[in-house]
Amino acid sequence: MKLYTIKYMFLSLCAATMFVACDDDDALEMVETSCTDGIMNGTETGVDCGGASCEPCEEGEEMMVTPPDFSGTYAQVDFMGRPGINTVLSIPDFKDPYNQAVPSTIAEFYQKDFENRLEGLHDVYAELLGLNPEDVNYQPNILGDILNGPDKDGFTDNIVSAEVLTTVLANDVLEIAPDLPTTYFNGGSGAPNFEGAIGFTGRTLQDDVIDVSLILLFGGGDGARFNGQEVEGVGTFPRLVSDGVAITANPTDTFPYLGAPE
Amino acid sequence: MKKTKLLFGMGILAVVGAVLVAADHIDAPGTTGNTADIADFYGFESPSNPGNTVFIVDLQTNVLEDLAYGTFDENVLTEINIDTNNDLIEDLVIQAIPRKDTMYFFGPAIPSTTGKSSEVMIGSPLGQVAISTESALTTTTESGISLFAGPRQDAFFFDFGQFNKVIGGTAPEGFLPAGEAVDTFDGANTMALVLEIPNSILGETTGTNVLGLKVYKTWVTTNRKQ
Repeated sequence: MKLYTIKYMFLSLCAATMFVACDDDDALEMVETSCTDGIMNGTETGVDCGGASCEPCEEGEEMMVTPPDFSGTYAQVDFMGRPGINTVLSIPDFKDPYNQAVPSTIAEFYQKDFENRLEGLHDVYAELLGLNPEDVNYQPNILGDILNGPDKDGFTDNIVSAEVLTTVLANDVLEIAPDLPTTYFNGGSGAPNFEGAIGFTGRTLQDDVIDVSLILLFGGGDGARFNGQEVEGVGTFPRLVSDGVAITANPTDTFPYLGAPE
Repeated sequence: MKKTKLLFGMGILAVVGAVLVAADHIDAPGTTGNTADIADFYGFESPSNPGNTVFIVDLQTNVLEDLAYGTFDENVLTEINIDTNNDLIEDLVIQAIPRKDTMYFFGPAIPSTTGKSSEVMIGSPLGQVAISTESALTTTTESGISLFAGPRQDAFFFDFGQFNKVIGGTAPEGFLPAGEAVDTFDGANTMALVLEIPNSILGETTGTNVLGLKVYKTWVTTNRKQ
């Protein structure tokens, strides 16, 4: 056997056993490794940790000897833009297909169903109140006044019809304003002028997205249409503009913002 | 409304075994109990630096028993999609996928294909962070992007029990008043991905919201290896 073949056999033996580092010279020098030399060598799985002879690595210290495999094709399983859209506005048969949606085509496929669902939810309460479902429909919400000014009466001259609202919601994306503070929605001074109203600039951990959604769906022109109030000749209206709960988690103001697991 | 609509509304009651929890937790039978179930999505201006945007994606939840919770799935690629020109098609994508004890992030980059099929953008590595356990392990890349992956409190709040009665037509009073209502998510945890990124990296947007304010239009998807 030729000398260089022996040398390479030895080198590959070194590589296989990893107990020694090998200098690629004819002297075939043996270099000892240690758990304090500041480099990842021997059987170590991180710098001076892991392997056969060193202390186990702390979390995050371990190094991948080979780069991980990221190959392959990945197919969409779940989808989310705004909170609660699929949960509240999709009928059960649509919930799985909806997660296969892409935002650019949701309105085309789902807007009409969302609108029917919104009216259907109003019918549930018509029935409970002993009213004719045909008489109890979605009423244009506070967005009309906010978008058009308070001189546009929310009940008669308001562009935010069930069709308009469900079209907006069917563009199921979370809008985040890069140059403005984040507010999911805030009606400002409230009805009738909604002074200082702002919204759709993102979603913070503290935003009460459920109450906002309920107000836009069931609040009518003043935001309080179904608010548990007594209505003469009808009875007690259901409370549909707030679910009655506030945040119970403890977000922080510093990264990663979410509280430690409980 | 027609009577058929009424039945349609009341028909929600008839769905046996369909447990629905907003915001997106367990929102559909096909994702329930699945490691790819998106629980929630947040995007907001950083409280500590108004020039940064924070994205939070919550995967999985332990709000109900017997659901997938506690381990990121190596076969699930999470994508934050960002539309910067108002056509609701992603112009930039940020990806996260775990390998062993580490969460790897890629992007933000222009995706080679848009829509429902994805590949890991290995040509655009963003950074990596060790997956946390109880305490938060975070890292910040040289370009100023902070990363986190691990279990955290589920910050969502909602009286889910009463919601199901409301849509089922068995709650004539509607939701309960403050003090009586119960936050179903009190004490719940989720597997969170948190990323804080300078807006300068995301770049300009021409998208606008319904109030005419300039916005990124964003959404999140989970994608399973085929």
